[in-house]
Amino acid sequence: MYTASNLSYRVSHKAILNDVSLMLEPGKFTAVVGANGAGKSTLLRVMANELKPGSGQVIVNGKPIDQYGARELSKLRAVLPQSSQVPFAFSAEQIVRLGRHAHNTSHAANDAIVIEAMAMAGVDLFRQRTYLTLSGGEKQRVQFARVLAQVWDETLYPRYVLLDEPTASLDIAQQQHIFSVARQVCQRNIGVLAIVHDLNQAVQFADHLYFLKDGNVVAAGEAREVFTKSNIEETFCCRVNLYHDPCNNCPYIIPERPLTGNTDYQNLKLV
Amino acid sequence: MNLALTLSRSRDAAIVGTLGVVLLVAILFSLTVGAVAIPISDVMVILLKRLGLFAGVDVNGMHEIVMESIRLPRILLTVLIGGALGVSGAALQGLFRNPLVEPSLIGVSGGSAAFVVLVIVFGGAFALPNEGWAFDLVLPAVAFVGGLIATLLVLRLASQQGRTNIAVLVLVGVAMNAFCGAIIGLSIFFADENQLRTFTFWTLGDLGGATWAKCIIAAPVLIVAPALLLVHARALNALALGEAEAFHMGVDVERTKLKIILLSALAVGVSVSMSGMIGFIGLVIPHLIRILFHPDNRLVLPASILGGALLLVLSDIVARTVVMPSELPIGVVTAFIGAPFFMGLLIKAKKKNEL
Repeated sequence: MYTASNLSYRVSHKAILNDVSLMLEPGKFTAVVGANGAGKSTLLRVMANELKPGSGQVIVNGKPIDQYGARELSKLRAVLPQSSQVPFAFSAEQIVRLGRHAHNTSHAANDAIVIEAMAMAGVDLFRQRTYLTLSGGEKQRVQFARVLAQVWDETLYPRYVLLDEPTASLDIAQQQHIFSVARQVCQRNIGVLAIVHDLNQAVQFADHLYFLKDGNVVAAGEAREVFTKSNIEETFCCRVNLYHDPCNNCPYIIPERPLTGNTDYQNLKLV
Repeated sequence: MNLALTLSRSRDAAIVGTLGVVLLVAILFSLTVGAVAIPISDVMVILLKRLGLFAGVDVNGMHEIVMESIRLPRILLTVLIGGALGVSGAALQGLFRNPLVEPSLIGVSGGSAAFVVLVIVFGGAFALPNEGWAFDLVLPAVAFVGGLIATLLVLRLASQQGRTNIAVLVLVGVAMNAFCGAIIGLSIFFADENQLRTFTFWTLGDLGGATWAKCIIAAPVLIVAPALLLVHARALNALALGEAEAFHMGVDVERTKLKIILLSALAVGVSVSMSGMIGFIGLVIPHLIRILFHPDNRLVLPASILGGALLLVLSDIVARTVVMPSELPIGVVTAFIGAPFFMGLLIKAKKKNEL
């Protein structure tokens, strides 16, 4: 279990996170949604132990996260950033192999893991390609393979993957691909936490859903239970209509067009 | 079993091995040329005699003296300094994630140069020697201290809540170099003709003053610091993705950063103190390796040691021979050989879209 309890984080006097609690279960896909600037990325960075919370605590597999060394922690949680710049001409395979940095496994074992992880992320054809020459979507899938390689080993303890808007700037086919791989990953005793930009995708793939607004959790729970018109409208200050898609057997929303062309979102009266 | 991956590892070993052999050949060739030409057979015999073999064989006495007291210490220092400059450049470029970085960026060279010019111009006023053997000893020491002070100051100013902020570090480094430049400019304003000449030659680099004493002082640092940098090759690979990403992958980023900066400063500081400023090697050699082969630091770091040593040995051969019996400044030659070669490679890499 990967739990964050009562996290607060401020930058000078501005509260970015305010008493946020979140629970990440192995084998489940948990998504966080919220408007720009709601504190989603900060939450992820605190959860990854990259930032220290002002108050509150993150506990991973029963032990406070700040008691793990970088190396030890990396064996049970991996992080996929929005995008990664690589200044030198590494091959795709070399990037994926970096995921094995902290592991003491043999070269042969690492080779096998690199290949399996690349196959799972659908990038096994790019192994020898230079990372710099890949398209945005291909790069992100290579990075995803790297993250998978980091937590690939079958262990007795559960492992976790944190994804920070992994599909920003990808086309819809690539987005669906990344999220369906993330779901498959859950079956390996891995808990997935993803910041998701597209609400319809969030409800389509997630088991649990957190709505974050101005550093506060507005609603949290089973994805389809909390995916309501009122939760969405409150979180995003935007009117939406909720429908049901019979093909996927899944709810979806379409945002309403503001009638007056009024772009003053904060003052929209919600009914 | 994956053939491609296994092959790439043995290929790296082959690259490093080949570079080592080429370096060895260059060293042997370098020992034969100079004001006194020594045949390769004599070079071999003298080397083997030092190792306790062929003790009974007679060689030309003058050849033996030239080898013992001039060429051997010089080649040793050349190899050590070339290697140290190459690997420091590679490590710093990897750490800063910026291919334009060279060791001078963290203030080492600037600090050394500023202290040296101060001693050359104003040393007399503080009863410091300004010529002779004492001067030759004081200059390296001062250069080293200056480089270390400048680096530590840059590091201190760039640290923020216990972390070294790389963006700030680069800016502070620029400011430090500007400040050192001002000290140098001011000193030059007060300098006389002779002092000016001494300083100019120091900035162009000089391997001519190599002695066994210098080797004994420099060798431990110039062997240990590069060796310790090699240990960080894997961490540097992870850092290529970014500091946060490296931390996610299990690298203790702050400690690694501090170690790499201090080890590089030590290696470069000692090099500058022994031979003056030899530019270009730290910037270009790591690039050559990355363009010619690949950017995995487990190859780039060791290959930069050998490549840096090779470039400096070759440059030294040219410096010693083209204007015999005089000598060209080594920094001039490294840039003359390295720059066109590097430009050619850049053009090729640009065509292949690999930059």
